[in-house]
Amino acid sequence: MPRQWIGILRKRTEVGAAVVTILLVIGFTATTEGVWLSNANMREVLRVTSILAMMAFGEALVITTGQIDVSVGSIFGVVGILFLALGPQIGAPLAILIALVAAIAIGAVNGFIVAYFRISPLVVTLGTLFVFRGLAIGATQNPPYYAADNTMRANPIYQIFGSSDVFGYNNALVWAIVTLLFLHYVLFWTPIGNRLLAVGGNAESARSRGVSIMYTKWGAYVACGFFAGLAGILETSDLGYVDGSFGRQRELQAIAAAVLGGCALAGGRSSIVGTFLGAFILSGIQSYLVINSIPPQWFILLLGLIVVLVSLGNRVLTHLLTRLARAEKTKD
Amino acid sequence: MPAVRRFFKRPEATIIIGSALIFLIFTIVDTENWFNFFTIRNITRITAILGLVAIGETLLILVREIDLSVGSVYGLVAIAFISFEPALGVQFSFVAALLMAAAIGLLNAVLVLRGKLSSMIVTLGGLFFYRGVIYVTTGSTARSFPAETTNQWFVQLFGGNWLLGLENGFWWFLFAILIFTYILFSNPYGNHLLAIGGNIESAASRGVSVRSVKTIAFVLCSILAGFAGIISVADEPRLSVTIGQDVELEAIAAAVIGGALLTGGRGSIIGAALGTFFLTAVRSELITLGAPPTWYISFVGFMLVFAAVVNAFIQRRVTGTRTL
Amino acid sequence: MAETRNALIEMKNINLDFGTVNALSDVSVNFYQGELVGLVGDNGAGKTTLIRILSGMYAPTSGEVYFDGQRITRFHPKLAIDLGIETIQQTVGLCDNLSIARNYYLGREPVKRWLGIIPVLDFAKMRESSNKVIRNFGLRDTVNVDDEVALLSGGEGQSFKIGRAVDFRNRVIIMDEPTNHLSVRERAHVNELALQLRDQGLLVIYITHDIFQVHRLADRIVILENGRKVVDILKAEMSAEALEQIIRDGGREASEGTA
Repeated sequence: MPRQWIGILRKRTEVGAAVVTILLVIGFTATTEGVWLSNANMREVLRVTSILAMMAFGEALVITTGQIDVSVGSIFGVVGILFLALGPQIGAPLAILIALVAAIAIGAVNGFIVAYFRISPLVVTLGTLFVFRGLAIGATQNPPYYAADNTMRANPIYQIFGSSDVFGYNNALVWAIVTLLFLHYVLFWTPIGNRLLAVGGNAESARSRGVSIMYTKWGAYVACGFFAGLAGILETSDLGYVDGSFGRQRELQAIAAAVLGGCALAGGRSSIVGTFLGAFILSGIQSYLVINSIPPQWFILLLGLIVVLVSLGNRVLTHLLTRLARAEKTKD
Repeated sequence: MPAVRRFFKRPEATIIIGSALIFLIFTIVDTENWFNFFTIRNITRITAILGLVAIGETLLILVREIDLSVGSVYGLVAIAFISFEPALGVQFSFVAALLMAAAIGLLNAVLVLRGKLSSMIVTLGGLFFYRGVIYVTTGSTARSFPAETTNQWFVQLFGGNWLLGLENGFWWFLFAILIFTYILFSNPYGNHLLAIGGNIESAASRGVSVRSVKTIAFVLCSILAGFAGIISVADEPRLSVTIGQDVELEAIAAAVIGGALLTGGRGSIIGAALGTFFLTAVRSELITLGAPPTWYISFVGFMLVFAAVVNAFIQRRVTGTRTL
Repeated sequence: MAETRNALIEMKNINLDFGTVNALSDVSVNFYQGELVGLVGDNGAGKTTLIRILSGMYAPTSGEVYFDGQRITRFHPKLAIDLGIETIQQTVGLCDNLSIARNYYLGREPVKRWLGIIPVLDFAKMRESSNKVIRNFGLRDTVNVDDEVALLSGGEGQSFKIGRAVDFRNRVIIMDEPTNHLSVRERAHVNELALQLRDQGLLVIYITHDIFQVHRLADRIVILENGRKVVDILKAEMSAEALEQIIRDGGREASEGTA
């Protein structure tokens, strides 16, 4: 294999996701007589993709540092509830602000306990998942749901989020693309990103060079909480409605999207573009099942399968490419 | 005091104190509802079922792995047990269902040890995959045993209440505690398990087969989860496709509250049992006192983190582990 | 032999425990600017542990550390680097998943400002500096600064770490077994560099278990054994053979004989 190709494949972890995406688009369009790719369907697919991608972006940051966050689904739900519960009382802009601050706060709590007390990320975020799920259900007992009232819907700030479109495509897409560009820049073109990658790759070495592992890991959780909350606001402002079931099982989708996009679970290898593609692949599959009237339970089954197969594939591929690249180096 | 220090060196120290406290508090505050036979029977039943899963989870946590799919396996095996029965009869159906559990555990082990994937992602995938299988194969409605099957002695062996009016599952649970405590502390396998959890390189260099030990742990964990599922449906008139949902979270919480540390290869069977008791007792009391069910969910989450932090602190202080 | 000038680094009665294991026991030693100190001892003597205190990775369980007369109360690699202490360690120092260029400035990345405000990594500078090192330290021609460190051999990684530390030299350079995995020519290069750094006025702490190699280079030799300091003398005072004998005897003779 030509040297350049090996290099590209190793560094551009999103190539795998890109190839799968292209194949998917072709395959799905062909087998649904174009329905899947139609404007109407794509609008919804891209909306769902964008919201999932927002959560997955945050998850990708956490995964890059070698950690995990399984509470993103609960953060998504709780922040959405907070937003629509407060909105009618204090107006959309203030409600959004408070909801986002809450998202950051939850992320900060996660990060603090994991990074400062050095407790297993799985245990801490599992605990947070439970705590906020309980709060979400508790907050939606009476009344069982919250809805945006007309004053809120009329508010221009409310509309910047999920409830209006740009050329027919939900604003969420714009948010996702802007976030994508921003995070790609941060991760690959700034010192912060360099350190995030370093900590994920070899935390001890990073530490020996003066990088603060604690702040780096903490920061990843804060960002993750923020984006999960933002996704919650985008979704609830689009639907104008939220109940206690929001966000359930989203954490696996977020993790799956990141892994599909090429992020290594062990940390150190990451792709924001890939994560977006991963979210698109998952949403595309979900849409395909709906179009073909396949019961939604199959999606859950497929999701589990995909996550494991893709992780395996990523691992094998990286291993193979490293061996090839090393061989290339010794050849000349 | 050296004795105090020695006590706190045990991973189950905090939960022993916690369980005793909770028992005392509830007895004093709500004697009538708490200290009656009905409550005791209920608590022992739930503790037994969840406790079996927590024991399996503890074994894995001891070797620094985890199994997030136990809830789905619990449900899948329970449903398999019921579904196979018409064709195989109760006994063979029991064996087949448990073999299925073992196979799942084996698959987990292969993916983690040979595929070199993290057990978290493998079993997270499994959680969803097996739940999906449940949905897809049962078509969203699950039936339980008809009455005449439930009354068969073999089914009653797991679901009846033959001794002291307590559920048989509880005696199976006590039996499991005895067996696994023995395995852990008096058996070479247990030794190897603890060695790997302590220091994997030195264990490997002393000839411990990390692969076999971990594989067995994965298989045991799935079998215990499946067994718990079987016990839960052996005498249960109603069944839903969501059976086992969130069991993994509660079982892990019980194990961690019982002293297991995901980072330190530290844990205990008694701890897992008491941790399960603790959670079950609190939930039962919350229900009796009329608190909304969501309090329990948040409580579990909070206790999970709180116990993890406290246990980590204690372990670091008592063994003097340093920051690096 | 009394030292009249002020010590750059003073370590007094240092104890370091890892749980129940005692790694360093009542170690007192001073280091001075412009000298090359050989820190020697058999495996497990505590050499790496001692310098990890200086590089900020461990904090002593008890005892005091002074740098330039100031008491050090907090231990973190960033603080050590800020004080001017560069360390070349055996097992840490490079992140396999990052390119050579990214590894070079890790922790102190150079930044350009796009349009005057947007901070962006100065890739050109990163590449230039790391390229100089890999060319000067004899890495294979096929190696490129954008290659991931995972592609380097053990010796190349080691050479790169040394080159990087030398480039960043400030006041102290600590080298932990710097010549492992290196060819004969590379070893000579590194040792030459160590001497040059000393001549430029830096403190060079050179850890090795090859007493003969370091006896040629060092001004002073410190021997650790089982976490204790057993010898601390100027090179002229003892021959390499005698020192080697001490190590082989497990430090007994020295501790019995020294006043």
